[in-house]
Amino acid sequence: MSIYSSVASNTMPNRVLPVLGCLALALVWLLDLGVIQPNRIVPGTGHGLISAVGGPWAGLVSLVLAGCVLLSFLPLRRRYLPLLGLVGLSLALLPLLLEVFAGRHLPEDAPYARSSIGAGFWCLLFLLSLMLIEILGRLGSGRGLQLMILAVIVGNWLWILRGGGLESLSLVREFNARPDKFEQALWTHLALAFGAVGISAGLAFLLALKMIRSVAWRRPILGAVSFLQTIPSLAVFGLLIAPLSALAAAFPALQAMGIRGIGWAPALLALVAYSLLPMVRNTFVALTEVPESLADAGRGMGMNERQLFFKLKLPLALPVIVEGVRITTIQAIGLTAVAALIGAGGFGSFIFQGLGQAAMDLVLLGALPTIALALLADALLTMLAASL
Amino acid sequence: MRVWLPPVLLTVLLCALSAGMPTLEPLFEWVQPDKQNVVYERESFLFLLQNHLMLVVISALVGTVAAVAGGIFATRPAGRDFLPLVSQIASIGQTFPPVAVLALAVPVLGFGEAPILVALILYGLLPILRNTLAGLEGVDATVRQAALGMGMSPFQVLLQVELPLAGRVILAGIRTSVTINIATAAIGSTIGARTLGDPVIAGLVNGNTAYVLQGAILIGMLALTVDSLFEAAERVWDRRFLPQTAG
Amino acid sequence: MIELKNVTRRFGDAVAVDRINLTVETGEVCVLVGSSGCGKSTTLRMINQLLPHSEGQILVDGNDVTAMNPEQLRLNMGYVIQGTGLFPHWTVARNIAMVPQLLKWPRERIDERVHELLTLLDLDQATHANKYPQQLSGGQAQRVGVARALAANPNILLMDEPFGALDAITRENLQLEMLRIQSQLRKTTVFVTHDIDEALRLATRIAVMDQGRIIQHDTPENILRRPASVFVENLVGKQDRGLKLMSLHTVRDLMEAHPQPREPEPGADGLKEDDSLRVALSIMLWQNWRQVPVFNADGQETGTITRERIIQEGA
Repeated sequence: MSIYSSVASNTMPNRVLPVLGCLALALVWLLDLGVIQPNRIVPGTGHGLISAVGGPWAGLVSLVLAGCVLLSFLPLRRRYLPLLGLVGLSLALLPLLLEVFAGRHLPEDAPYARSSIGAGFWCLLFLLSLMLIEILGRLGSGRGLQLMILAVIVGNWLWILRGGGLESLSLVREFNARPDKFEQALWTHLALAFGAVGISAGLAFLLALKMIRSVAWRRPILGAVSFLQTIPSLAVFGLLIAPLSALAAAFPALQAMGIRGIGWAPALLALVAYSLLPMVRNTFVALTEVPESLADAGRGMGMNERQLFFKLKLPLALPVIVEGVRITTIQAIGLTAVAALIGAGGFGSFIFQGLGQAAMDLVLLGALPTIALALLADALLTMLAASL
Repeated sequence: MRVWLPPVLLTVLLCALSAGMPTLEPLFEWVQPDKQNVVYERESFLFLLQNHLMLVVISALVGTVAAVAGGIFATRPAGRDFLPLVSQIASIGQTFPPVAVLALAVPVLGFGEAPILVALILYGLLPILRNTLAGLEGVDATVRQAALGMGMSPFQVLLQVELPLAGRVILAGIRTSVTINIATAAIGSTIGARTLGDPVIAGLVNGNTAYVLQGAILIGMLALTVDSLFEAAERVWDRRFLPQTAG
Repeated sequence: MIELKNVTRRFGDAVAVDRINLTVETGEVCVLVGSSGCGKSTTLRMINQLLPHSEGQILVDGNDVTAMNPEQLRLNMGYVIQGTGLFPHWTVARNIAMVPQLLKWPRERIDERVHELLTLLDLDQATHANKYPQQLSGGQAQRVGVARALAANPNILLMDEPFGALDAITRENLQLEMLRIQSQLRKTTVFVTHDIDEALRLATRIAVMDQGRIIQHDTPENILRRPASVFVENLVGKQDRGLKLMSLHTVRDLMEAHPQPREPEPGADGLKEDDSLRVALSIMLWQNWRQVPVFNADGQETGTITRERIIQEGA
């Protein structure tokens, strides 16, 4: 029966794409596509679609969206392929709209003037992405194709960015004002997040082994790690300051290593504490849910317990463990951003600096890479888990 | 009744601590001997607690209604088309770090309580949505078929069969959502929402560890209290609907 | 009475049920039998409109089902499916009370009816009424499923491979149970199965289906004696057709009855009136009996039967 229904859904009109397409069409006309600011702090003036990019481009954007809507109404078996091309291409070329906008509206004689992205553009980006996800889902495409399309789109964006037409974009300006700091933030962010994931993976493995060996330890260990997960991040960071300062004051050697009440030490400690729950839970579940019948088959063929563990249990458990690593990594990337509040650095420092100075583009410079990192980690680790 | 004891005790303790923080002044003087003020006084802790809780409760209520409604829509015949996309959004959305979502709300909505509320609702919606979908999809197909075949209307099937069976999973989703939102609301202090994060942020800015401690303790207590409340609710649910597993 | 006239059901381009005609008389058990994917379940589910038909007409007691409110239609039809479909969050009693509750029967009448059905299906009120479905064995759960279907005393019973997931012994017990209940209640029943022995045992008439069509619609005896095609012949099994025919008849049909039932001699061995001829022959061959006494349900000797007669006239 499932065969019938999938055939049916491929030829029947799909209502998702028309809804998304019409929504995109409405929002792109209703909201401001871009904003021109005379300088960094002064609020700018917004420009709607026509005013921002002029009639021909506005027509093109509307035409593409209307085309998507029309195509998705056709009861064609193969309509998803042209749709994929259309939406993919639109996404890849989307930054061109900003370039056109900047070219039309940026005053020549104002060096501090900058263009920034309006709500209309964000909505267009968001809805086109949703359409892409929907199309890829309907096509039942493999990961390879998805990744390739993503690479083409992102590659195109970088290429447009390097062309120089987006120099005036506020986000680019913020980046260009501090390329070193950005790079440093990137490395700090990665070091903290992955350091925490690495340490907690090792710890979690030991704890899971302990739980497997002795039943009495199961409840206390799981209880403790889920208790840690319940406490909000800000509270954990805050609670670590006093004891760590005291430690540093008592042992100058620790201070020399850079361990203080604020900075990387409490951040790393808190991140490890947070990472334990998903790691321990997944590792434990993965290692205990290897079917006994398989283990018996292994024993029957003469494996000893040690061989059984390394040759049978561990390989079978690996995908579930990697899933735990995925959850942990995404969580750690997000929490590292919060750790900037206690001076740990990373992209969070741009976010909180920007919030402090009411400089929204700086906030974006911190928030967007954090999201990108999380999505990237998610994609890579999902692929890793699937390939195991 | 015993299951409700921990949340009640924790609630009493939380309120007592919020009201009686100034009486602990000597303790904080010992922690922070070099400062004039060792107890946060810009707002009363009770007010911050109340405000913090209100943000979380409102976002949880709105998020639950929206997510459950969305989940129901996507699993009805009329909304089936949207199911793959909705479940994709629910899972991809959760990879967005909550801080980043909070930060993105500011350029769009400005500072204050409005952006944080929107961010909390949007982000808190996702785990509930995912669990609603999982719960409704997890209802045994034969059960649904039997219910329809015996003459229940689709609405009766939803209300009497599907939602009660999915309820436990949805409740777990709300618990996750609220846990995350208590933490995110605390960080909301940095964008001008007055929550229990205020003392922590103020303490960090002024180098006053006593402030940080006061805020952190109360935030932690709040999270534990609410979590124990959900724990109790889940126990009661299990006892009511799943007696054979509760023993 | 249920009538299907030229009924077709398509899924996309595929035809699942192809212009079938079928009449199920009031009080008879019509068994739809065929391999998986032959359209038998689809046919059943079109009768209560869980699947709307693409073409043709379905009449229940002379009324077109498409003209009726689907909920009203289904409330008048008991429905039993494989794996029971019992609601895991409701007790046995509440599961059975489901349709009467939907029909807004008064409380006392529902309680009374639940008690009646538990007794009918040989389930003990005290031990089972307040259990949850997961606490029952497979056989018990399916009994509850049947009780639930009978609760509001519907005229029609639809059964979709109800005993398919049970072990052989439990299945046989439930089949006997079903024969007993059917002899009391005489519901118009449509029963779907892929098990030809189940079909032969339960059916008044069997409809053999293949690739969306009804190949043959006839009594079990005629299906065995005169299969309409090679497909039906293979389905019923060529070799043991004789024995299968024997299992359609009981000892009662061929015994030499005494003018008066008499008290048996103490310790006498024999057969029961309700034993099938197949069982009777098997026992007689094993014990090397040529002639044995036959007893009724009360243990009185009502006649005798000979091996010769079974072999001559049994099949």
